Amino acid sequence: MTSTGTVFDIGYQRYTEAREGRRRSRRAIFKDGVRIALGLGRGGRAKILPWFFIVVLSVLGLGFALVAGAANRLGGPGTAEKVHLPSHSDYYGIASIILFVFGAVMAPELLCRDKRDGTINLYFVRPVTGGDYVMARWAAIFAVMTVAAWLPQLLLFLGLSAGDPMPIVYLQQHWIDVPRFLLAGAAMALYVSTLSMLAASFTSRRAYASVFLVGLFVITTPFTVGLAQQIGGKAGQWISMFNLTNIPVHVNDVIFGDVSQITEQAPARKLGSAILVSWYFAWTLVPGAVLWWRYRRLG
Amino acid sequence: MTTNGTNGAALIAVDGLTKRYGDVVALNGVSFQITDGITGILGENGAGKSTAIKILLGLLQPTSGSAMILGQNASESVAARARVGYMPEHDCLPTQPSAAEFLTHMAEVSGLPPSSARTRAADTLRHVGLFEERYRAIGGYSTGMKQRVKLGQALVHDPAFVFLDEPTAGLDPAGREDMLSLIRKTHREFGISVLFSSHLMVDIERTCDRIIVLQGGRLVQSGEVRQFTKEMETVFIEVDDNRDALVAALARRGVQVAVEHTGLTIEGPDESVYDHVRDALVEAEAPLRRMAPRRRALTELFAS
Repeated sequence: MTSTGTVFDIGYQRYTEAREGRRRSRRAIFKDGVRIALGLGRGGRAKILPWFFIVVLSVLGLGFALVAGAANRLGGPGTAEKVHLPSHSDYYGIASIILFVFGAVMAPELLCRDKRDGTINLYFVRPVTGGDYVMARWAAIFAVMTVAAWLPQLLLFLGLSAGDPMPIVYLQQHWIDVPRFLLAGAAMALYVSTLSMLAASFTSRRAYASVFLVGLFVITTPFTVGLAQQIGGKAGQWISMFNLTNIPVHVNDVIFGDVSQITEQAPARKLGSAILVSWYFAWTLVPGAVLWWRYRRLG
Repeated sequence: MTTNGTNGAALIAVDGLTKRYGDVVALNGVSFQITDGITGILGENGAGKSTAIKILLGLLQPTSGSAMILGQNASESVAARARVGYMPEHDCLPTQPSAAEFLTHMAEVSGLPPSSARTRAADTLRHVGLFEERYRAIGGYSTGMKQRVKLGQALVHDPAFVFLDEPTAGLDPAGREDMLSLIRKTHREFGISVLFSSHLMVDIERTCDRIIVLQGGRLVQSGEVRQFTKEMETVFIEVDDNRDALVAALARRGVQVAVEHTGLTIEGPDESVYDHVRDALVEAEAPLRRMAPRRRALTELFAS
């Protein structure tokens, strides 16, 4: 028998293989963004907040499913709908504030740290433009927010199907809820991600950005609701449009063709679907363009 | 030594580079070329070193003039940046990830596929002496270790040219020596050309082949470091007695001598000077206490 051996030349060597350019760079920044957002590859403390929000959102979805399932088991099929227990169309309205706070906490992690640590300069001396960087980071938060928005709805759908006395019939009658909640969840994630990233782009301090965003979402609600009720009429309806937490929920209502419990009393609802959807796109595309423009100048 | 195949062509070409911040002129019509090797860019704080580097990297736009790197304008050609490395002077490291994770990420951002990025991150961390510590969070590293991570991220994607902005800043003497040794090794063993900025002349002198001196945003000197060091060589002689007779004896042999407080200095000596000194000492009957080669500091040369 002859023995063979291999000599490994370890240590720094010249790199002669393929370089994949900007496409690889963008994917790397996206992947890193997802890892930061979820605290992956970081210490335990970095994981607490993102996973706390994901668990809370999921528990809410499971809670809806358990209550509806119990009602249908006790009162017969369709009882949950008859007594208007919250379901798919209501979920984003009820969970919106949790999603907003989640975005307000996560977006500064993705943008502010790089500025504060000075790491951003290391990106811009590589084959990456400012636009590439911010779009990849935005895509990362959008992906995480979308999954966080879809997961509880999926659990709710599975829970409602399993909880119904006739699961097959339930699936046949309610399959349309799946594309609806997928679209509504993506719309919610798009809105929260874009506004949160824009706010985070103005500061290098995470706490400032988070507090500003939470304040923006929480304060505009009672302020616009009170003012809209006091003024009333058409003006009141337009003031109600500035309730930032309701903007994506109106779109959710349009997608489901139903009014959720959160927007039931909102005067803006009377302005019609076209205006509500256009308003949503204005609040998504304009901040998105400003965000891209701010970073385009940098790299 | 591996070479990057430039055959002496300019890797960096700067022509009439000017950068103004309002009324402040950071760079004023600076022109120079850099070829393969280690080039030092020397100047006091505020001389324009970092500004020049940032313009070459495309991080700043010049007010006027052009700055080309690897034949392309870095601010216009994003692809050119894939072959360039940069170690900034300021803090630039995240605190949470490990060095291995950070370097892998930076290699991927430079365009390397994930599997190659992981291998190169490990190899680069071995090169900079952090292999054993590579899975610790960067936030827990000492200043010297952080400087090594900064150097590592500049090299991980195998650049053709690397900019090192004050790489020895904040290091103790041993750490400084290690860093200078790493920089020399990076060029001599792997053929990566280096532009190394410092305000410490001794670092440039010991590490670089060529030197560029900036002062107040203007180019003061550029050329081979050897040429400068040759101009700086002196021989210092100290005798117990008959110093004036020795000066006269040396003058008769055509050796120019500067008289200092404690002895005599002969500038730019060649080999024959030592024979003349021996003969002059005998002739002047001057008891020799000390004779040693000495070098002037670069500052003295530039001041003159």
